[in-house]
Amino acid sequence: MSTEEHSGLEVVPVRHVGQWVGAVVVLVFIAMVVHTLFSRIPTGLSACVTRAGQRVCHATTKWRFQWNVVGRWLFSSDMLHGVLLTLELTAVAMLIGIVLGVFIAILRLSRNRLLSGPAWVYTWFFRGTPVYVQIFFWFEVGLLYPRLTLGLPFLPVTFVSAPSTIISGITAAILGLGLNEAAYMAEIARAGIISVDEGQVEAATSLGMTRRQSLRLVVLPQAMRVIVPPTGNEVISMLKTTSLAASIGVLELFGRAQNIYASNYEIIGLIITASLWYLFLTTVLSIGQFYLERRFARGALRTQPMTPIQRLRHDVTSLRGLVRHSAVAR
Amino acid sequence: MTTMVEARGVTKSYANVPVLRGVDLVVSQGEVACLIGPSGSGKSTFLRCINHLEKHDAGELRVEGNLVGYQLHNGKLYESSDKQICGERANIGMVFQRFNLFQHLSVLENLTIGQVKVRGVKEDDAKRRARELLARVGLESRERNYPSQLSGGQQQRVAIARALAMEPRLMLFDEPTSALDPELVGEVLDVMRDLAASGMTMIVVTHEMGFAREVANTVYFLDQGVIEESGAPADMLGSPRSERLRSFLSKVL
Repeated sequence: MSTEEHSGLEVVPVRHVGQWVGAVVVLVFIAMVVHTLFSRIPTGLSACVTRAGQRVCHATTKWRFQWNVVGRWLFSSDMLHGVLLTLELTAVAMLIGIVLGVFIAILRLSRNRLLSGPAWVYTWFFRGTPVYVQIFFWFEVGLLYPRLTLGLPFLPVTFVSAPSTIISGITAAILGLGLNEAAYMAEIARAGIISVDEGQVEAATSLGMTRRQSLRLVVLPQAMRVIVPPTGNEVISMLKTTSLAASIGVLELFGRAQNIYASNYEIIGLIITASLWYLFLTTVLSIGQFYLERRFARGALRTQPMTPIQRLRHDVTSLRGLVRHSAVAR
Repeated sequence: MTTMVEARGVTKSYANVPVLRGVDLVVSQGEVACLIGPSGSGKSTFLRCINHLEKHDAGELRVEGNLVGYQLHNGKLYESSDKQICGERANIGMVFQRFNLFQHLSVLENLTIGQVKVRGVKEDDAKRRARELLARVGLESRERNYPSQLSGGQQQRVAIARALAMEPRLMLFDEPTSALDPELVGEVLDVMRDLAASGMTMIVVTHEMGFAREVANTVYFLDQGVIEESGAPADMLGSPRSERLRSFLSKVL
Protein backbone atom coordinates (compact mmCIF):
# COMPACT_ATOMS: atom_id res chain seq x y z
CA MET A 1 0.00 0.00 0.00
CA SER A 2 2.87 2.32 0.80
CA THR A 3 4.49 2.13 -2.63
CA GLU A 4 1.89 3.96 -4.62
CA GLU A 5 2.86 5.31 -7.99
CA HIS A 6 3.25 9.01 -8.21
CA SER A 7 2.82 10.23 -11.77
CA GLY A 8 4.92 7.32 -13.03
CA LEU A 9 8.07 8.29 -11.14
CA GLU A 10 10.00 5.91 -8.94
CA VAL A 11 9.44 6.49 -5.22
CA VAL A 12 12.53 6.20 -3.02
CA PRO A 13 11.55 5.45 0.60
CA VAL A 14 13.40 7.15 3.47
CA ARG A 15 16.22 5.01 4.82
CA HIS A 16 16.10 4.59 8.60
CA VAL A 17 19.80 3.92 9.21
CA GLY A 18 19.56 4.45 12.99
CA GLN A 19 16.81 1.86 13.30
CA TRP A 20 18.90 -0.71 11.47
CA VAL A 21 21.94 -0.12 13.67
CA GLY A 22 19.74 -0.34 16.76
CA ALA A 23 18.14 -3.56 15.59
CA VAL A 24 21.57 -5.17 15.01
CA VAL A 25 22.74 -4.17 18.49
CA VAL A 26 19.60 -5.63 20.06
CA LEU A 27 19.93 -8.86 18.05
CA VAL A 28 23.52 -9.29 19.19
CA PHE A 29 22.45 -8.69 22.78
CA ILE A 30 19.65 -11.27 22.51
CA ALA A 31 22.15 -13.77 21.07
CA MET A 32 24.45 -13.15 24.05
CA VAL A 33 21.64 -13.80 26.53
CA VAL A 34 20.54 -17.00 24.80
CA HIS A 35 24.14 -18.15 24.54
CA THR A 36 24.88 -17.71 28.21
CA LEU A 37 21.51 -19.16 29.32
CA PHE A 38 22.25 -22.40 27.50
CA SER A 39 26.03 -22.49 27.91
CA ARG A 40 27.77 -25.39 29.59
CA ILE A 41 30.68 -25.27 32.00
CA PRO A 42 33.22 -27.95 32.93
CA THR A 43 32.41 -29.98 35.99
CA GLY A 44 36.11 -30.57 36.76
CA LEU A 45 35.50 -34.29 36.36
CA SER A 46 36.18 -36.46 33.40
CA ALA A 47 34.40 -39.47 32.04
CA CYS A 48 36.38 -42.38 30.64
CA VAL A 49 35.38 -45.25 28.42
CA THR A 50 37.42 -48.16 27.25
CA ARG A 51 36.95 -48.66 23.56
CA ALA A 52 38.80 -51.38 21.68
CA GLY A 53 41.14 -51.86 24.59
CA GLN A 54 41.98 -48.20 24.70
CA ARG A 55 40.90 -45.95 27.54
CA VAL A 56 39.54 -42.62 26.33
CA CYS A 57 38.82 -39.82 28.76
CA HIS A 58 37.10 -36.48 28.22
CA ALA A 59 36.12 -33.62 30.50
CA THR A 60 32.44 -33.51 31.36
CA THR A 61 30.31 -30.38 31.28
CA LYS A 62 27.05 -29.25 32.86
CA TRP A 63 24.44 -26.54 32.28
CA ARG A 64 25.64 -23.23 33.69
CA PHE A 65 22.05 -22.46 34.74
CA GLN A 66 21.43 -25.94 36.16
CA TRP A 67 18.49 -26.64 33.82
CA ASN A 68 18.67 -30.30 34.79
CA VAL A 69 17.99 -29.28 38.41
CA VAL A 70 15.07 -27.16 37.24
CA GLY A 71 13.69 -30.10 35.29
CA ARG A 72 14.06 -32.37 38.31
CA TRP A 73 12.31 -30.05 40.81
CA LEU A 74 9.81 -28.00 38.78
CA PHE A 75 6.94 -30.44 39.19
CA SER A 76 8.13 -32.16 42.34
CA SER A 77 5.50 -32.54 45.02
CA ASP A 78 7.63 -30.35 47.30
CA MET A 79 7.44 -27.41 44.93
CA LEU A 80 3.79 -28.01 44.06
CA HIS A 81 2.92 -27.81 47.76
CA GLY A 82 4.83 -24.54 47.89
CA VAL A 83 2.89 -23.22 44.89
CA LEU A 84 -0.36 -24.11 46.60
CA LEU A 85 0.59 -22.33 49.81
CA THR A 86 1.77 -19.26 47.87
CA LEU A 87 -1.61 -19.10 46.12
CA GLU A 88 -3.42 -19.51 49.43
CA LEU A 89 -1.39 -16.77 51.11
CA THR A 90 -1.99 -14.46 48.14
CA ALA A 91 -5.73 -15.11 48.09
CA VAL A 92 -6.32 -14.71 51.83
CA ALA A 93 -4.05 -11.67 52.22
CA MET A 94 -5.65 -9.96 49.21
CA LEU A 95 -9.12 -10.75 50.50
CA ILE A 96 -8.28 -9.10 53.83
CA GLY A 97 -6.62 -6.24 51.96
CA ILE A 98 -9.54 -5.57 49.63
CA VAL A 99 -12.36 -5.86 52.17
CA LEU A 100 -10.56 -3.88 54.88
CA GLY A 101 -9.18 -1.44 52.31
CA VAL A 102 -12.58 -0.55 50.83
CA PHE A 103 -13.96 -0.21 54.35
CA ILE A 104 -11.12 2.15 55.35
CA ALA A 105 -11.59 4.14 52.13
CA ILE A 106 -15.27 4.65 52.96
CA LEU A 107 -14.36 5.71 56.51
CA ARG A 108 -11.73 8.04 55.13
CA LEU A 109 -14.34 9.77 52.96
CA SER A 110 -16.74 10.21 55.87
CA ARG A 111 -17.54 13.75 56.95
CA ASN A 112 -17.18 12.61 60.57
CA ARG A 113 -13.59 13.38 61.65
CA LEU A 114 -13.73 10.61 64.25
CA LEU A 115 -14.14 8.13 61.39
CA SER A 116 -11.89 9.72 58.76
CA GLY A 117 -9.09 10.47 61.23
CA PRO A 118 -8.37 6.88 62.34
CA ALA A 119 -8.65 5.76 58.72
CA TRP A 120 -5.93 8.22 57.81
CA VAL A 121 -3.75 7.08 60.74
CA TYR A 122 -4.16 3.45 59.69
CA THR A 123 -2.94 4.18 56.17
CA TRP A 124 -0.14 6.37 57.50
CA PHE A 125 1.11 3.66 59.85
CA PHE A 126 0.84 0.57 57.69
CA ARG A 127 2.14 2.26 54.58
CA GLY A 128 4.93 3.91 56.51
CA THR A 129 6.55 0.75 57.88
CA PRO A 130 8.07 -2.07 55.79
CA VAL A 131 5.87 -5.10 55.23
CA TYR A 132 8.87 -7.32 56.03
CA VAL A 133 9.11 -5.74 59.47
CA GLN A 134 5.34 -6.04 59.96
CA ILE A 135 5.45 -9.78 59.23
CA PHE A 136 8.15 -10.19 61.87
CA PHE A 137 6.15 -8.12 64.31
CA TRP A 138 3.12 -10.40 64.04
CA PHE A 139 5.38 -13.44 64.25
CA GLU A 140 6.88 -12.14 67.50
CA VAL A 141 3.70 -10.60 68.93
CA GLY A 142 3.79 -13.24 71.67
CA LEU A 143 6.69 -11.34 73.23
CA LEU A 144 4.35 -8.36 73.62
CA TYR A 145 1.20 -10.26 74.58
CA PRO A 146 1.74 -13.77 75.95
CA ARG A 147 -2.06 -14.00 76.01
CA LEU A 148 -4.27 -12.36 73.42
CA THR A 149 -7.35 -10.92 75.10
CA LEU A 150 -10.23 -8.94 73.69
CA GLY A 151 -12.28 -6.96 76.17
CA LEU A 152 -13.26 -3.45 77.15
CA PRO A 153 -10.55 -1.06 78.35
CA PHE A 154 -10.44 -0.24 82.10
CA LEU A 155 -13.31 -2.67 82.72
CA PRO A 156 -13.24 -6.29 83.87
CA VAL A 157 -14.96 -7.43 80.68
CA THR A 158 -13.37 -10.08 78.47
CA PHE A 159 -14.91 -11.43 75.28
CA VAL A 160 -12.25 -13.88 74.11
CA SER A 161 -8.83 -14.86 75.31
CA ALA A 162 -6.25 -17.22 73.84
CA PRO A 163 -2.52 -17.87 74.15
CA SER A 164 -0.60 -16.01 71.46
CA THR A 165 0.84 -19.30 70.21
CA ILE A 166 -2.31 -19.53 68.07
CA ILE A 167 -0.47 -17.12 65.75
CA SER A 168 1.50 -19.54 63.61
CA GLY A 169 3.97 -18.52 60.94
CA ILE A 170 1.26 -18.70 58.31
CA THR A 171 -1.12 -16.59 60.41
CA ALA A 172 1.60 -14.03 61.04
CA ALA A 173 2.35 -13.87 57.32
CA ILE A 174 -1.33 -13.44 56.45
CA LEU A 175 -1.76 -10.72 59.09
CA GLY A 176 1.38 -8.88 58.01
CA LEU A 177 0.61 -9.08 54.30
CA GLY A 178 -3.15 -8.48 54.59
CA LEU A 179 -3.07 -5.54 57.00
CA ASN A 180 -0.32 -3.89 55.01
CA GLU A 181 -2.21 -4.46 51.78
CA ALA A 182 -5.36 -2.88 53.26
CA ALA A 183 -3.49 0.42 53.56
CA TYR A 184 -2.63 0.38 49.85
CA MET A 185 -6.06 -0.88 48.81
CA ALA A 186 -7.67 1.90 50.85
CA GLU A 187 -5.87 4.49 48.75
CA ILE A 188 -6.78 2.69 45.53
CA ALA A 189 -10.44 2.41 46.54
CA ARG A 190 -10.54 6.03 47.64
CA ALA A 191 -9.17 7.16 44.28
CA GLY A 192 -11.84 5.05 42.59
CA ILE A 193 -14.68 6.42 44.67
CA ILE A 194 -13.75 10.07 44.20
CA SER A 195 -13.34 9.48 40.46
CA VAL A 196 -17.10 8.90 40.14
CA ASP A 197 -18.92 12.05 39.08
CA GLU A 198 -20.86 13.73 41.88
CA GLY A 199 -23.89 13.90 39.59
CA GLN A 200 -24.20 10.12 39.85
CA VAL A 201 -24.75 10.36 43.60
CA GLU A 202 -27.21 13.22 43.12
CA ALA A 203 -29.19 11.19 40.61
CA ALA A 204 -29.23 8.18 42.94
CA THR A 205 -30.25 10.40 45.84
CA SER A 206 -33.03 12.02 43.84
CA LEU A 207 -34.46 8.56 43.14
CA GLY A 208 -34.80 8.13 46.89
CA MET A 209 -31.78 5.88 47.44
CA THR A 210 -30.15 5.99 50.85
CA ARG A 211 -26.49 6.88 51.08
CA ARG A 212 -25.61 3.23 51.52
CA GLN A 213 -27.65 2.21 48.47
CA SER A 214 -26.12 4.86 46.25
CA LEU A 215 -22.65 3.79 47.37
CA ARG A 216 -23.31 0.10 46.76
CA LEU A 217 -25.47 0.31 43.62
CA VAL A 218 -24.10 3.35 41.83
CA VAL A 219 -20.74 4.57 43.11
CA LEU A 220 -18.77 1.39 43.81
CA PRO A 221 -19.68 -0.38 40.54
CA GLN A 222 -18.42 2.65 38.63
CA ALA A 223 -15.41 3.08 40.87
CA MET A 224 -14.45 -0.49 39.96
CA ARG A 225 -13.27 0.66 36.55
CA VAL A 226 -10.62 2.74 38.30
CA ILE A 227 -10.05 0.26 41.13
CA VAL A 228 -9.57 -2.96 39.14
CA PRO A 229 -6.38 -2.20 37.14
CA PRO A 230 -4.23 -1.17 40.13
CA THR A 231 -5.78 -3.98 42.19
CA GLY A 232 -4.60 -6.41 39.54
CA ASN A 233 -1.13 -4.99 40.01
CA GLU A 234 -1.51 -5.43 43.76
CA VAL A 235 -2.46 -9.11 43.34
CA ILE A 236 0.57 -9.71 41.14
CA SER A 237 2.75 -7.81 43.58
CA MET A 238 1.28 -9.75 46.51
CA LEU A 239 1.97 -13.08 44.83
CA LYS A 240 5.66 -12.23 44.83
CA THR A 241 5.69 -10.51 48.23
CA THR A 242 4.43 -13.71 49.88
CA SER A 243 8.03 -14.94 49.43
CA LEU A 244 8.91 -12.79 52.46
CA ALA A 245 7.05 -15.36 54.55
CA ALA A 246 9.95 -17.73 53.90
CA SER A 247 11.93 -15.65 56.40
CA ILE A 248 9.69 -16.77 59.27
CA GLY A 249 9.83 -20.38 58.18
CA VAL A 250 6.65 -20.58 56.13
CA LEU A 251 7.15 -23.20 53.43
CA GLU A 252 5.59 -21.40 50.51
CA LEU A 253 7.17 -21.51 47.06
CA PHE A 254 10.44 -19.78 47.91
CA GLY A 255 10.60 -21.32 51.38
CA ARG A 256 10.45 -24.76 49.77
CA ALA A 257 13.17 -23.83 47.31
CA GLN A 258 15.40 -22.59 50.14
CA ASN A 259 14.73 -25.73 52.14
CA ILE A 260 15.74 -27.93 49.25
CA TYR A 261 18.91 -26.06 48.29
CA ALA A 262 19.96 -25.94 51.93
CA SER A 263 20.47 -29.68 51.70
CA ASN A 264 21.63 -30.19 48.10
CA TYR A 265 23.39 -26.87 47.39
CA GLU A 266 21.82 -26.60 43.94
CA ILE A 267 21.05 -22.99 44.75
CA ILE A 268 20.76 -21.44 41.28
CA GLY A 269 18.65 -24.29 39.91
CA LEU A 270 16.10 -23.96 42.71
CA ILE A 271 16.01 -20.18 42.55
CA ILE A 272 15.24 -20.53 38.84
CA THR A 273 12.62 -23.20 39.55
CA ALA A 274 10.84 -20.87 41.97
CA SER A 275 11.20 -17.94 39.56
CA LEU A 276 9.65 -19.92 36.70
CA TRP A 277 6.66 -20.68 38.89
CA TYR A 278 6.31 -17.04 39.89
CA LEU A 279 6.51 -16.02 36.21
CA PHE A 280 3.90 -18.56 35.21
CA LEU A 281 1.50 -17.54 37.98
CA THR A 282 1.82 -13.80 37.32
CA THR A 283 1.22 -14.44 33.62
CA VAL A 284 -2.00 -16.28 34.38
CA LEU A 285 -3.06 -13.45 36.70
CA SER A 286 -2.32 -10.82 34.04
CA ILE A 287 -4.61 -12.61 31.61
CA GLY A 288 -7.34 -12.72 34.24
CA GLN A 289 -6.81 -9.02 34.89
CA PHE A 290 -7.37 -8.18 31.22
CA TYR A 291 -10.77 -9.87 31.17
CA LEU A 292 -11.78 -8.39 34.50
CA GLU A 293 -10.93 -4.87 33.33
CA ARG A 294 -12.91 -5.48 30.18
CA ARG A 295 -15.91 -6.54 32.25
CA PHE A 296 -15.85 -3.39 34.37
CA ALA A 297 -15.29 -1.04 31.44
CA ARG A 298 -18.89 -1.76 30.40
CA GLY A 299 -20.75 1.44 29.73
CA ALA A 300 -17.64 3.58 30.06
CA LEU A 301 -16.44 2.98 26.52
CA ARG A 302 -18.50 3.03 23.38
CA THR A 303 -16.73 -0.06 22.09
CA GLN A 304 -15.07 -2.73 24.18
CA PRO A 305 -11.38 -3.45 23.64
CA MET A 306 -10.91 -6.69 21.73
CA THR A 307 -9.79 -9.84 23.50
CA PRO A 308 -6.57 -11.34 22.10
CA ILE A 309 -8.64 -14.05 20.43
CA GLN A 310 -10.93 -11.49 18.82
CA ARG A 311 -7.93 -9.46 17.71
CA LEU A 312 -6.35 -12.55 16.15
CA ARG A 313 -9.58 -13.31 14.30
CA HIS A 314 -9.82 -9.68 13.22
CA ASP A 315 -6.22 -9.68 11.96
CA VAL A 316 -6.75 -12.90 10.03
CA THR A 317 -9.95 -11.56 8.44
CA SER A 318 -8.38 -8.26 7.46
CA LEU A 319 -5.28 -10.04 6.17
CA ARG A 320 -7.50 -12.28 4.07
CA GLY A 321 -9.29 -9.19 2.81
CA LEU A 322 -5.95 -7.62 1.98
CA VAL A 323 -4.81 -10.68 0.07
CA ARG A 324 -8.08 -10.78 -1.86
CA HIS A 325 -7.82 -7.06 -2.52
CA SER A 326 -4.28 -7.29 -3.90
CA ALA A 327 -5.26 -10.32 -5.96
CA VAL A 328 -8.04 -8.31 -7.56
CA ALA A 329 -5.71 -5.39 -8.11
CA ARG A 330 -3.35 -7.62 -9.97
CA MET B 1 -56.73 23.29 43.33
CA THR B 2 -54.51 21.66 45.88
CA THR B 3 -51.12 23.15 46.57
CA MET B 4 -48.15 21.05 45.57
CA VAL B 5 -45.20 23.23 46.54
CA GLU B 6 -45.30 26.19 48.87
CA ALA B 7 -42.32 28.36 49.80
CA ARG B 8 -42.40 31.17 52.36
CA GLY B 9 -39.27 33.24 52.90
CA VAL B 10 -36.86 30.44 51.99
CA THR B 11 -33.23 31.46 52.50
CA LYS B 12 -29.94 29.71 51.87
CA SER B 13 -26.31 30.80 52.12
CA TYR B 14 -23.07 29.13 51.10
CA ALA B 15 -20.28 30.12 53.49
CA ASN B 16 -21.99 33.40 54.40
CA VAL B 17 -22.72 34.26 50.79
CA PRO B 18 -26.52 34.49 50.52
CA VAL B 19 -27.92 32.65 47.50
CA LEU B 20 -31.61 32.69 48.39
CA ARG B 21 -32.84 35.74 50.31
CA GLY B 22 -36.44 34.83 50.93
CA VAL B 23 -38.18 33.03 48.12
CA ASP B 24 -41.99 32.94 48.11
CA LEU B 25 -43.88 30.83 45.64
CA VAL B 26 -46.92 28.58 45.37
CA VAL B 27 -47.26 25.87 42.74
CA SER B 28 -50.58 24.07 42.47
CA GLN B 29 -51.14 20.50 41.41
CA GLY B 30 -50.99 20.12 37.64
CA GLU B 31 -49.31 23.45 37.20
CA VAL B 32 -46.18 24.08 35.15
CA ALA B 33 -43.94 26.71 36.70
CA CYS B 34 -40.86 28.03 34.92
CA LEU B 35 -38.04 29.65 36.86
CA ILE B 36 -36.00 32.05 34.78
CA GLY B 37 -33.25 34.43 35.71
CA PRO B 38 -29.57 35.20 35.26
CA SER B 39 -26.99 32.60 36.29
CA GLY B 40 -26.18 32.79 39.98
CA SER B 41 -29.65 34.06 40.81
CA GLY B 42 -30.40 30.94 42.89
CA LYS B 43 -32.79 29.10 40.53
CA SER B 44 -31.01 25.76 40.70
CA THR B 45 -30.35 26.08 44.42
CA PHE B 46 -34.03 26.66 45.09
CA LEU B 47 -34.97 23.67 42.94
CA ARG B 48 -32.50 21.48 44.84
CA CYS B 49 -33.96 22.65 48.17
CA ILE B 50 -37.36 21.31 47.14
CA ASN B 51 -36.15 17.68 47.16
CA HIS B 52 -33.65 18.36 49.93
CA LEU B 53 -30.54 17.87 47.82
CA GLU B 54 -29.63 21.14 49.50
CA LYS B 55 -30.81 22.07 52.95
CA HIS B 56 -32.43 25.51 53.21
CA ASP B 57 -31.37 27.65 56.16
CA ALA B 58 -34.63 29.32 57.14
CA GLY B 59 -38.18 29.85 55.96
CA GLU B 60 -40.92 27.39 55.30
CA LEU B 61 -40.83 24.96 52.41
CA ARG B 62 -43.67 22.50 51.97
CA VAL B 63 -44.29 19.76 49.42
CA GLU B 64 -47.87 18.43 49.46
CA GLY B 65 -48.33 20.18 52.78
CA ASN B 66 -45.38 18.42 54.45
CA LEU B 67 -42.38 20.43 55.59
CA VAL B 68 -39.22 19.58 53.67
CA GLY B 69 -36.56 18.20 56.03
CA TYR B 70 -38.62 18.51 59.22
CA GLN B 71 -41.52 16.88 61.01
CA LEU B 72 -43.84 19.01 63.09
CA HIS B 73 -44.92 17.38 66.38
CA ASN B 74 -46.47 19.13 69.39
CA GLY B 75 -45.22 22.51 68.35
CA LYS B 76 -41.63 21.31 67.82
CA LEU B 77 -39.74 20.83 64.57
CA TYR B 78 -37.92 17.51 64.46
CA GLU B 79 -35.27 17.08 61.78
CA SER B 80 -36.31 14.27 59.46
CA SER B 81 -34.29 11.07 59.51
CA ASP B 82 -32.40 10.06 56.38
CA LYS B 83 -35.00 7.39 55.78
CA GLN B 84 -37.91 9.87 55.92
CA ILE B 85 -36.10 12.24 53.55
CA CYS B 86 -35.37 9.40 51.11
CA GLY B 87 -39.02 8.39 51.16
CA GLU B 88 -40.11 11.92 50.30
CA ARG B 89 -37.51 12.29 47.58
CA ALA B 90 -38.73 9.17 45.83
CA ASN B 91 -42.01 10.99 45.13
CA ILE B 92 -40.22 13.88 43.46
CA GLY B 93 -38.61 13.27 40.07
CA MET B 94 -35.55 15.27 39.13
CA VAL B 95 -33.94 15.83 35.75
CA PHE B 96 -30.44 17.28 35.68
CA GLN B 97 -28.63 19.53 33.26
CA ARG B 98 -25.96 16.89 32.67
CA PHE B 99 -28.42 13.93 32.55
CA ASN B 100 -26.53 11.95 35.23
CA LEU B 101 -27.61 8.59 33.86
CA PHE B 102 -25.96 5.66 35.60
CA GLN B 103 -23.08 4.98 33.24
CA HIS B 104 -22.57 1.36 34.27
CA LEU B 105 -26.19 0.35 33.65
CA SER B 106 -28.06 -0.18 30.42
CA VAL B 107 -30.95 2.13 29.54
CA LEU B 108 -33.46 -0.42 30.82
CA GLU B 109 -31.53 -0.95 34.07
CA ASN B 110 -31.39 2.81 34.59
CA LEU B 111 -35.18 2.78 34.59
CA THR B 112 -35.64 -0.29 36.79
CA ILE B 113 -33.05 0.24 39.53
CA GLY B 114 -35.05 2.85 41.44
CA GLN B 115 -38.30 0.94 41.16
CA VAL B 116 -36.73 -2.30 42.38
CA LYS B 117 -34.32 -1.02 45.03
CA VAL B 118 -36.33 1.90 46.42
CA ARG B 119 -39.94 0.99 45.74
CA GLY B 120 -39.52 -2.76 46.04
CA VAL B 121 -41.30 -3.38 42.72
CA LYS B 122 -40.81 -6.85 41.23
CA GLU B 123 -38.17 -7.02 38.49
CA ASP B 124 -40.67 -8.05 35.79
CA ASP B 125 -43.17 -5.34 36.65
CA ALA B 126 -40.36 -2.78 36.75
CA LYS B 127 -39.24 -3.86 33.30
CA ARG B 128 -42.73 -3.65 31.91
CA ARG B 129 -43.17 -0.14 33.25
CA ALA B 130 -39.69 0.84 32.01
CA ARG B 131 -40.55 -0.33 28.48
CA GLU B 132 -43.81 1.62 28.52
CA LEU B 133 -41.94 4.76 29.50
CA LEU B 134 -39.22 4.21 26.91
CA ALA B 135 -41.91 3.95 24.27
CA ARG B 136 -43.42 7.15 25.60
CA VAL B 137 -40.14 9.05 25.11
CA GLY B 138 -39.56 7.33 21.76
CA LEU B 139 -36.59 5.17 22.76
CA GLU B 140 -38.07 1.66 22.93
CA SER B 141 -35.34 0.34 20.62
CA ARG B 142 -32.52 1.54 22.88
CA GLU B 143 -33.14 -0.43 26.06
CA ARG B 144 -29.98 -2.51 25.72
CA ASN B 145 -27.70 0.45 25.02
CA TYR B 146 -25.47 2.08 27.58
CA PRO B 147 -25.82 5.84 28.15
CA SER B 148 -22.46 6.58 26.50
CA GLN B 149 -23.85 5.13 23.26
CA LEU B 150 -26.70 7.67 23.10
CA SER B 151 -26.81 11.27 21.94
CA GLY B 152 -27.34 13.99 24.53
CA GLY B 153 -30.99 14.40 23.59
CA GLN B 154 -31.60 10.68 23.87
CA GLN B 155 -29.84 10.57 27.23
CA GLN B 156 -31.99 13.36 28.57
CA ARG B 157 -35.15 11.60 27.39
CA VAL B 158 -33.98 8.45 29.19
CA ALA B 159 -33.32 10.58 32.28
CA ILE B 160 -36.88 11.90 32.16
CA ALA B 161 -38.19 8.35 31.78
CA ARG B 162 -36.01 7.25 34.72
CA ALA B 163 -37.56 9.93 36.91
CA LEU B 164 -41.07 9.02 35.72
CA ALA B 165 -40.48 5.35 36.53
CA MET B 166 -40.78 6.26 40.22
CA GLU B 167 -44.32 7.55 39.57
CA PRO B 168 -43.49 10.96 41.01
CA ARG B 169 -46.17 13.49 41.90
CA LEU B 170 -43.85 16.38 41.09
CA MET B 171 -41.11 16.76 38.49
CA LEU B 172 -38.17 19.13 38.86
CA PHE B 173 -36.14 20.07 35.79
CA ASP B 174 -32.78 21.76 36.30
CA GLU B 175 -31.90 23.40 32.97
CA PRO B 176 -32.71 20.18 31.08
CA THR B 177 -31.67 21.47 27.67
CA SER B 178 -28.65 23.63 28.54
CA ALA B 179 -26.07 20.91 27.88
CA LEU B 180 -27.58 19.91 24.54
CA ASP B 181 -26.58 20.74 21.00
CA PRO B 182 -29.16 23.17 19.57
CA GLU B 183 -30.63 20.62 17.16
CA LEU B 184 -31.33 18.19 20.03
CA VAL B 185 -33.21 20.65 22.26
CA GLY B 186 -36.51 20.16 20.43
CA GLU B 187 -36.84 16.42 21.10
CA VAL B 188 -36.44 16.95 24.85
CA LEU B 189 -38.86 19.86 24.96
CA ASP B 190 -41.40 17.73 23.04
CA VAL B 191 -41.26 15.08 25.75
CA MET B 192 -41.67 17.74 28.44
CA ARG B 193 -44.58 19.30 26.57
CA ASP B 194 -46.35 15.91 26.46
CA LEU B 195 -45.68 15.46 30.13
CA ALA B 196 -47.17 18.86 30.95
CA ALA B 197 -50.21 18.03 28.84
CA SER B 198 -50.68 14.81 30.81
CA GLY B 199 -51.23 16.91 33.95
CA MET B 200 -47.86 16.47 35.68
CA THR B 201 -46.87 19.18 38.13
CA MET B 202 -43.57 20.55 36.89
CA ILE B 203 -41.07 23.13 38.08
CA VAL B 204 -38.64 23.93 35.31
CA VAL B 205 -35.48 26.00 35.54
CA THR B 206 -34.88 27.01 31.96
CA HIS B 207 -33.43 29.45 29.49
CA GLU B 208 -35.88 28.32 26.79
CA MET B 209 -38.21 31.33 26.70
CA GLY B 210 -40.20 29.80 23.86
CA PHE B 211 -40.96 26.77 25.98
CA ALA B 212 -41.86 28.93 28.97
CA ARG B 213 -44.20 31.06 26.88
CA GLU B 214 -45.91 28.04 25.38
CA VAL B 215 -46.14 25.55 28.25
CA ALA B 216 -45.82 27.38 31.57
CA ASN B 217 -48.84 28.46 33.61
CA THR B 218 -46.68 30.79 35.65
CA VAL B 219 -43.21 32.20 35.08
CA TYR B 220 -41.06 33.27 38.02
CA PHE B 221 -38.15 35.63 37.48
CA LEU B 222 -35.46 35.12 40.10
CA ASP B 223 -32.78 37.72 40.60
CA GLN B 224 -30.22 37.89 43.41
CA GLY B 225 -32.03 35.30 45.49
CA VAL B 226 -35.55 36.73 45.42
CA ILE B 227 -38.48 36.42 43.07
CA GLU B 228 -38.46 39.78 41.37
CA GLU B 229 -41.54 39.26 39.29
CA SER B 230 -44.01 36.50 38.48
CA GLY B 231 -47.07 36.05 36.39
CA ALA B 232 -48.57 34.52 33.28
CA PRO B 233 -45.92 33.93 30.60
CA ALA B 234 -47.50 36.22 28.03
CA ASP B 235 -47.52 39.16 30.46
CA MET B 236 -44.08 38.42 31.90
CA LEU B 237 -42.30 37.93 28.60
CA GLY B 238 -44.45 40.34 26.60
CA SER B 239 -44.66 43.33 28.91
CA PRO B 240 -42.19 43.00 31.78
CA ARG B 241 -42.79 45.45 34.60
CA SER B 242 -39.43 45.48 36.39
CA GLU B 243 -36.36 47.01 34.88
CA ARG B 244 -34.28 43.93 35.77
CA LEU B 245 -36.56 41.52 33.93
CA ARG B 246 -36.59 43.84 30.95
CA SER B 247 -32.80 43.92 30.83
CA PHE B 248 -32.58 40.13 31.35
CA LEU B 249 -35.03 39.44 28.54
CA SER B 250 -33.20 41.80 26.21
CA LYS B 251 -30.12 39.60 26.68
CA VAL B 252 -31.73 36.18 26.21
CA LEU B 253 -34.41 36.79 23.61
